[in-house]
Amino acid sequence: MRRHLLILLTVAIMIPSFAALFVGGLGLVQHEKTMERVARSYVEDLAGSVASRLEMGWSWSGSFPLNDRERYWRLRQITWGLSIPGWIAVVDVHGNILLSTAGAEVLPMFWDRGIPVGSAIEITSSEGERFTLAAYQAGETGWYVVAAVSWDKLLGPMLRFNRWPMLVGVIGLLGLISVLALWKWLVSPLRMLGNEVSTLQWGREMPVADDPSAVFEIRRLRQVLHHLAKCAVERADLMKRYVGDLVRVQEEERSRLAREIHDGPLQDVTALIHQIRLATMEGSSRSEGGRLENAEDGARHAVQEMRALCDELSPPWLDLGLGQALDELVERLSRHLRADISVDVNYGEELPQEVTLAYFRVVQEAVHNSVRHGQASRVSVRLFGENGHAVLEVEDDGNGFDPPVDYEELRVRGHRGLSNMSERMSLIGGKLEVHRQPRGGTMVRCVWSPTSASV
Amino acid sequence: MTIRVILADDHPLTRAGLRDYIEKEKDLELVGEASDGLEAWELIVREKPDVALLDIRMPGENGVSLARKIKDSKLPVIPVMLTSFDAQQYVVASLRAGARGYILKTVTPDELSRAIRIVARGGLYLDGEVARSIEDEDLAFEALSAREREVLLYAARGLSSKEIAADLIISERTVQTHLASIYDKLGARNKTEAMLLALKYGVVALEELIE
Repeated sequence: MRRHLLILLTVAIMIPSFAALFVGGLGLVQHEKTMERVARSYVEDLAGSVASRLEMGWSWSGSFPLNDRERYWRLRQITWGLSIPGWIAVVDVHGNILLSTAGAEVLPMFWDRGIPVGSAIEITSSEGERFTLAAYQAGETGWYVVAAVSWDKLLGPMLRFNRWPMLVGVIGLLGLISVLALWKWLVSPLRMLGNEVSTLQWGREMPVADDPSAVFEIRRLRQVLHHLAKCAVERADLMKRYVGDLVRVQEEERSRLAREIHDGPLQDVTALIHQIRLATMEGSSRSEGGRLENAEDGARHAVQEMRALCDELSPPWLDLGLGQALDELVERLSRHLRADISVDVNYGEELPQEVTLAYFRVVQEAVHNSVRHGQASRVSVRLFGENGHAVLEVEDDGNGFDPPVDYEELRVRGHRGLSNMSERMSLIGGKLEVHRQPRGGTMVRCVWSPTSASV
Repeated sequence: MTIRVILADDHPLTRAGLRDYIEKEKDLELVGEASDGLEAWELIVREKPDVALLDIRMPGENGVSLARKIKDSKLPVIPVMLTSFDAQQYVVASLRAGARGYILKTVTPDELSRAIRIVARGGLYLDGEVARSIEDEDLAFEALSAREREVLLYAARGLSSKEIAADLIISERTVQTHLASIYDKLGARNKTEAMLLALKYGVVALEELIE
């Protein structure tokens, strides 16, 4: 199992936070229960002790029967100046309050509901006020003593102001809030950065420069990565420009050489042929004639070789446009390689010169590869438009070839053809793909669009 | 009647040799020489020769564009390319521009004079090196069918097999079969050569090919 630092961190803060919340809640519940128990025993005690006093007073005065007035005064004595949290009341069997402390006015509301004698109960008045209440019988007097405390008036404030469970709960909440903050400012930006960097095409793409929601350190890290990626992109650009310059210089040099040969030696030798022919025609001895004939043959051969050299270096007919240049190239290649090579140009737009040159060189290389390495006997070259792209396909019926994953590796191993083609395409901002055909053979496919970035 | 000729080539030695070739023929008259495209144009306008021998590569203006200028300004001058380029595509480009002949500079004196006479008569001359000829076999090729001739005309205009198939409402495969049969009959190795040979043998007229 993989352990993620960020998830561990989050969980490490979340567990104590939840524990604190739980403990806080538990404390509150326990406290309430305790208070209930306290309230019960208090009202039971109170009611019980008052009841026993009444009973005692009754039995003591039982031998001297008292009139009502005296009875009243006796009762008053019991409750006189009694200061208690809650209230007590003495009632007769019918629920008439004989005597009570302040607050007992609510008692008649409960009386009808039937209050068990001897044990405390919780009861809620019709106004929603909660009481713990106990009723005791005062001996043989036929009276009852009812004692009660109101939760809202007495216990409520005690419950509400019990600080510790509250505090623990608040700590728990703070913990959760900090988890959220941690997630928003640290975990999520870090994960985002991680994802971005792991899928980054080094040398081509850059991560976003800043993430305002992240903490300072992550923003800093992001800036550093951005800077590094930028350097890589710049370096790749530089490399591309460098290679582009090399290719351009090479092409320029080749075309310059071809021009020099064409305008210099080729013309000179052609003129030489004319002179030899004129000399032959002006009449000469047999031996001279034979020599002149040899000289003419030699000169014609030299002209043909120089023409071939020019074509190989940089064919002048490239100026005629890609369609015609491909026609000429394919005609020459089929003669030279003795293979059936067809060309089908279905692209009306004019292509820039460097694209024409790149496609021309790709066809040259690909057809050579097909016939030489793939032993193909038929090669078909197609140029057509597709969704605004100029697509070039060179397909053969040869042995097929598993396309390399990395063209650079091929270059290292000394196979420059494919990497050259791919480089030429990348220099004009196009793409080159090599596929093995399902029914054998290889397909080289180049795609370039007028909107792609060109060197 | 002599045929008036001008010669435009930037290479003095080549020019000297060709000049001697032309001057040897009694019915040919060299009325001027030019060493670049601009000079050549002035000469053409001033002398209005019957035939203008133009090098394709020249400083100033190239031969193909001079041929087009002659055609566009309707001068009574027949442009003929005289060049070192042996690419068939140059032949096609030159013919499209209005040239009636295509000769390589390694031409023999006899061929050169013959070419000049042929174009002056209104014919078409293509060097044997750029469009192999079977002249000596007395045009012994099998005649093209009407459909084949049609396919060849479309192909010569630069249409792809797909476009030809669409225009003639036949399958692409049928187009290719027709093309193969045309190559076979004309002894051509490819589309361009088929077109050049068809021109040379008079199977099709230049006007039909070039619109």
